[in-house]
Amino acid sequence: MSAPATEDGIRRLRMPLSREDARSLRAGDMVLLDGEIVITAGLPTCQRLVECAEGRRELPRPLDGTGLFHLGSYSREAPDGGFEVLYMNPTTSTRFNALMPGLIRHFRLSAVGGKGGLDAACAEAMREVGCVYLSFVGGGAPLLSDAIREVVSVHWNDLVSHYRLVTLRVEGLGPLTVGIDAQGNSLYADLSQAAADRMPAIMAELARARAAAEGAP
Amino acid sequence: MPITYDMMKRTTAQLYEWSLRKVPDDTLDALRRARETETNTVAQRTLGILLRSAEMAETQDRLVCSDSGVPTYTIAIGTGVRLEGDIRRAIEDGFDELVATTNPPLLKHVTNPLTNERGYRGKDMPLVTWDIVDGADHVDITCQPKALGSGRWAALEIFTFPTLERIEEYVMECVLKAGSQHCPPVNIGVGIGGSFDHCAKMAAKATLRQYGTTNPEPVLAAMEERLLRAVNATGFGPMGTGGDTTALGVHIEYCAGHGFTPVAVAFNCWINRRTRARLYGDGRLERVE
Repeated sequence: MSAPATEDGIRRLRMPLSREDARSLRAGDMVLLDGEIVITAGLPTCQRLVECAEGRRELPRPLDGTGLFHLGSYSREAPDGGFEVLYMNPTTSTRFNALMPGLIRHFRLSAVGGKGGLDAACAEAMREVGCVYLSFVGGGAPLLSDAIREVVSVHWNDLVSHYRLVTLRVEGLGPLTVGIDAQGNSLYADLSQAAADRMPAIMAELARARAAAEGAP
Repeated sequence: MPITYDMMKRTTAQLYEWSLRKVPDDTLDALRRARETETNTVAQRTLGILLRSAEMAETQDRLVCSDSGVPTYTIAIGTGVRLEGDIRRAIEDGFDELVATTNPPLLKHVTNPLTNERGYRGKDMPLVTWDIVDGADHVDITCQPKALGSGRWAALEIFTFPTLERIEEYVMECVLKAGSQHCPPVNIGVGIGGSFDHCAKMAAKATLRQYGTTNPEPVLAAMEERLLRAVNATGFGPMGTGGDTTALGVHIEYCAGHGFTPVAVAFNCWINRRTRARLYGDGRLERVE
């Protein structure tokens, strides 16, 4: 069931997203998330996930249909033997561009995210499986970390903290902006294209302002 | 009285710790002004989220960003100052101690470029730029933790007797290439002239300038103003999801060179991390920003 929009137009969604919810979102929508998410900021981690997908390594937790986000976190062992996460924040997603289409297709991810977006090949994989890209604000550590309700699991502790594969239960995570929707619409691609299209006009305006400045007394 | 190892160690560590928790006031003001004038609803909301995050970090003593970056310092030593002890080592030891004691702990971001291993220490860390100020009776220390989310989009190219038009076109090329990636709205620093290394330093130094300041050279003041409008006409917006606010300022520094003119472009993310203080021989620490 897709959730209705709240009063301020921000939709509140349960994670992992149902395909129906994922496909109902449109680029530019804003959302809040409740439920379980999987996070890592590590390229080595995503390389391990590729190995898992290829059957060369054991997957530490099932990922089918989950939301996998490019978020780094500081996790440490708590006195009770479990883990605590002190803070989390997004990292640049584009550096995972080469690995994400394979991971999105293999694990049929319902949501990915981080900051800065993903490329066209990723958007195509997302369209195929019904997956959205969610933009987290960079430098949003206090706000984003306050949404953590439980550290469900921490895997691959041999890696530095922000590279670990961490599963969290969150409540009201966001607001996040849908950067790429499951129809293949990408704010990032659209904005880059629009900016490139505007460049002749922008350069003409710079020339006009330069001439005016040079002509000034 | 001399400025000692202990004073340098304490001050450089403190500046680093502060910079992770406090978005500079000029930056907060610029973000608030941008929120008022933004015409894009998502952008307006995004600016509101950024401001809320900054407020929470400041009032609750928390990190604004999980990426505490690598420690970089710009240190200007007054010629009236006497130094005592190993001042360079003081900065290294200060960072070591900070890493061991600060709460919450910092993530490992110092990276060995030959192995990609990450830790808290590394060759030549912290990165320090030294300068001399004639006649001053203090040491002026600026701390700018540098993370590559925005830093990686910095670029430099050397042109042959470029026109102002070519320089501006290059800045716009860099802006287009960075696109939505550098946690906008950004602070853009531009260096023009000098040598390869000096030009890069000017661009980095330009990102330290406060919003609202202009270059005293009228040609550059006008260029800063028109480039800011040009950058914001691209439409990338806050966090690169669209809007009128891609940059909060364009700051340009220049110096004479040879005619083969380097142009460097550097970006600071919206947090615009920097802290600055003056350390006096009597132990007084004057926080500048």
